[in-house]
Amino acid sequence: MQRRLVIAILVACAVLPIAFQALGQRQVYWLFVISEFYVFAIVAISLDLLMGRSGQISLGQSGFVALGAYTAAILNQRFNVDLPLGMLAGAATAAVASLVLGFPATRLRGHYLGIVTLGFGIAIDQIALKWDALTGGDQGIHLHRPALFGVDAGTPVRMYYVALVALVVAVLLVRGLTQTRIGRAFAAIKDSEVAAAAMGVPVARTKVLAFIVSAFLAGAAGGIYAFLAGFVAPEDFGIESSLLFFAMVVIGGMGSIPGAIGGAVVVDAVKNAAATVSGLSLALLGGMIVLVVLFFPGGLKGLLRTRRIRRERRPAPKGVVRQDA
Amino acid sequence: MLEARGVTVRFGGLVAVNALDLDVPDRGIFALVGPNGAGKTTLINALSRVCPVAGGTVRLGDVDVLSLPPHAAVSAGIARSFQRAELFPSLTVLENLLVGLHSTMQTGLSGALMTPASRTEEQAARARAERVLRDLDLWEVRNAAPADMPYGHQKLLDVARALVSEPALLLLDEPFAGLTEAEAPRLLACIRAAGERCAVLMIEHHFELLEGIAQRMTVMDFGQKVSEGTPASMRTDPEVIRCYLGTGRHRTAAASAC
Amino acid sequence: MTQFLLQIALAGLAQGSLFALTALGLVMIYNASSVVNFAHGAMGMAATYVAYVLIARFEVPFALAFAAALVAAFVLGAVVQAVFLARLRNAPLLSQVVVTLGLFMLLEGLMGIAFGYNPRPMRESIAIAPVILGDLVLRPQDVLQLALLLILGVALAAFFAATKVGLGMRAITENTYAARLMGIPVGRLLAIAWGTGVALSAVAAVLAAPTTSVTPNMMDTIVVYGFVAAIVGGFGSMAGALVGGLILGVVVNLIDAFLAPELAMSIVFGLLLLVLYVRPDGLFGRAQVQKV
Repeated sequence: MQRRLVIAILVACAVLPIAFQALGQRQVYWLFVISEFYVFAIVAISLDLLMGRSGQISLGQSGFVALGAYTAAILNQRFNVDLPLGMLAGAATAAVASLVLGFPATRLRGHYLGIVTLGFGIAIDQIALKWDALTGGDQGIHLHRPALFGVDAGTPVRMYYVALVALVVAVLLVRGLTQTRIGRAFAAIKDSEVAAAAMGVPVARTKVLAFIVSAFLAGAAGGIYAFLAGFVAPEDFGIESSLLFFAMVVIGGMGSIPGAIGGAVVVDAVKNAAATVSGLSLALLGGMIVLVVLFFPGGLKGLLRTRRIRRERRPAPKGVVRQDA
Repeated sequence: MLEARGVTVRFGGLVAVNALDLDVPDRGIFALVGPNGAGKTTLINALSRVCPVAGGTVRLGDVDVLSLPPHAAVSAGIARSFQRAELFPSLTVLENLLVGLHSTMQTGLSGALMTPASRTEEQAARARAERVLRDLDLWEVRNAAPADMPYGHQKLLDVARALVSEPALLLLDEPFAGLTEAEAPRLLACIRAAGERCAVLMIEHHFELLEGIAQRMTVMDFGQKVSEGTPASMRTDPEVIRCYLGTGRHRTAAASAC
Repeated sequence: MTQFLLQIALAGLAQGSLFALTALGLVMIYNASSVVNFAHGAMGMAATYVAYVLIARFEVPFALAFAAALVAAFVLGAVVQAVFLARLRNAPLLSQVVVTLGLFMLLEGLMGIAFGYNPRPMRESIAIAPVILGDLVLRPQDVLQLALLLILGVALAAFFAATKVGLGMRAITENTYAARLMGIPVGRLLAIAWGTGVALSAVAAVLAAPTTSVTPNMMDTIVVYGFVAAIVGGFGSMAGALVGGLILGVVVNLIDAFLAPELAMSIVFGLLLLVLYVRPDGLFGRAQVQKV
């Protein structure tokens, strides 16, 4: 994507709270919605790394988010652990869980993994609800006011910047990974396991690694979410939210970071706009997924790219000599 | 030096490769010929650890090849191309080549952090891949998607991806199939050059072409070695004539499926 | 205690027959097209609404409404294959699976919009009193479920063994390309496989309706257990799916009775992971050979 566009978007995101300040009243609510969106976008990127980049389906991504969020919340509530450490602990917990889950799962053919991850998502939800001594059951857990290296971060504006910085860091990390050896190995096992193995890529180990990295990122996002919302409860992490993350990746165009973020924008917008009629957002997103797979295999990202190519390739109108180029 | 003894591959009841012995010296170009279903591709698959072997031993230098997991064949010095170019469509041409260097590199997850060590290694790998691309005249299209290239270029890239790791043994499965008149000489020169540095074992049907480059031909039929010798001596070999002219026997496609 | 255990086993087998029916359909579709159909339960659910509307609005007798739901399910399955999946024949398998997930969301959402999420009651299909057999209570609904499973299981076995269509489907399973070259009408057979598979899901859904009520997510739990049953059975073996479903039914009922019903699915997935750890191809599956 063009560098200038990226910088423009970043600057806009950075000055947004100042703009809101000028508008007054509802700013706290909207700042929270957008901060929450940044966290969701991290999850979308994590799932895109697993599904879009390495071709392994996960229908339980919110299970990893939940593990990260609960770990951070429990550590914060009991031991007063702060944001950075809580986030890392959440990420580590999710990564360990993915190892337990991913190891047998990667020995499986094709799309068993989708089913196993679906079960994982359901199980985490059930356990969070049942094990109330640890998780507070359906009452959830309230966190202390977040701080960052001793500095209070509990205001909406400060948490907004925490979420924004986290998203930027996640983008840079995933971008770095996809442009180096391991990221290429992820893509290779997606495209052809046989050829990947023939090129020296250990297929099973690489699949597990993709799983771990994805879970780590999703867990980190969960940790941040816990501090952002100040409260975690099982209903935030049901199977529905796994489906939303799944929709973000597919609609945005698999295997692309800007695609995942764009998909997150679309899905978040549809979810919020269609919340009044039950079933509407589910039907809209499902319909969009079907349309994308059938007609726009590149998703949003592919759509933009084909249009750009078409524009570039369009011949000059008759009788007009092109001056540019 | 590759030494294969009694290599046997079975698919259910079908014996695709039957107790085959094969020696390949350290340098030079060697050809596997034979009719469809003779077990040539299966032999390549067995040597590159893609398909499971029922019996026999294969040694490359001191390494017991058949004891290696599939992905370790490259580190042991065995690289291969595929009959129908098995490229990675979601990576660029250059990145496809870089996957060929996977086992020569170390960078792990630290690649995400852009550590100095990982950067140095990445740059060295890119330089190496770029040299191969220039040799094969694929430099111009290094950032293209493989699927956007003509089939001949895809075949070239498939060979290049095997070549880039500088293997001791290069296995090529019909590298010239599907190439145009214009593309063939480039690949030919490239294979010739490879034969100076390492052993090339290639499946090829084109007799005139082999006469020019191959030191030795091994003729296979029904999973067995039926004849072996220089291309010139093969011309008059009754087994070769029989196999190439064909005697109208029916064969199952299953043997070439693996 | 024995009597209690027997009663649990009986209830387990009855519930397991629903999992088995769902799993049979999943495996049938998987065998024909290599696609794990994530819309499987939702499609059966949509067909159940046909039966529901016929019974509740038009007072159609149960047997007739059941038959109508099966026809609707068959058509839905065949249309989904012909319209959506046939287009993706050359696309990566991931895309085909993703489309079924999209369809799952679409169907559940559409039914939610049309009928709302409030559960709608469905009467028991057989209105006769439970049979008392010694110490055991036999619910007619349970007997119906098990009987239908056995009848359909035998019928499917006969279909694959003895009919031309069944033989053609087995050929597609082995090698779609070769089957096409042999003059087998692959498209039509795939549509039949999808139609029949979804009809099996609809049998499970309509039978489940008196217990679960008719809601857009009525099949969610059952289809997840159907997936598990299919995996345990080796995902490819119809007999494995049938047996896997019945075993799973008993296991779930044992968990409900002796452990924690709220954690049933978590425990089942934990057990599934253990099974897969020991036998990656399921209890009854055979190892698959990769092709180049």
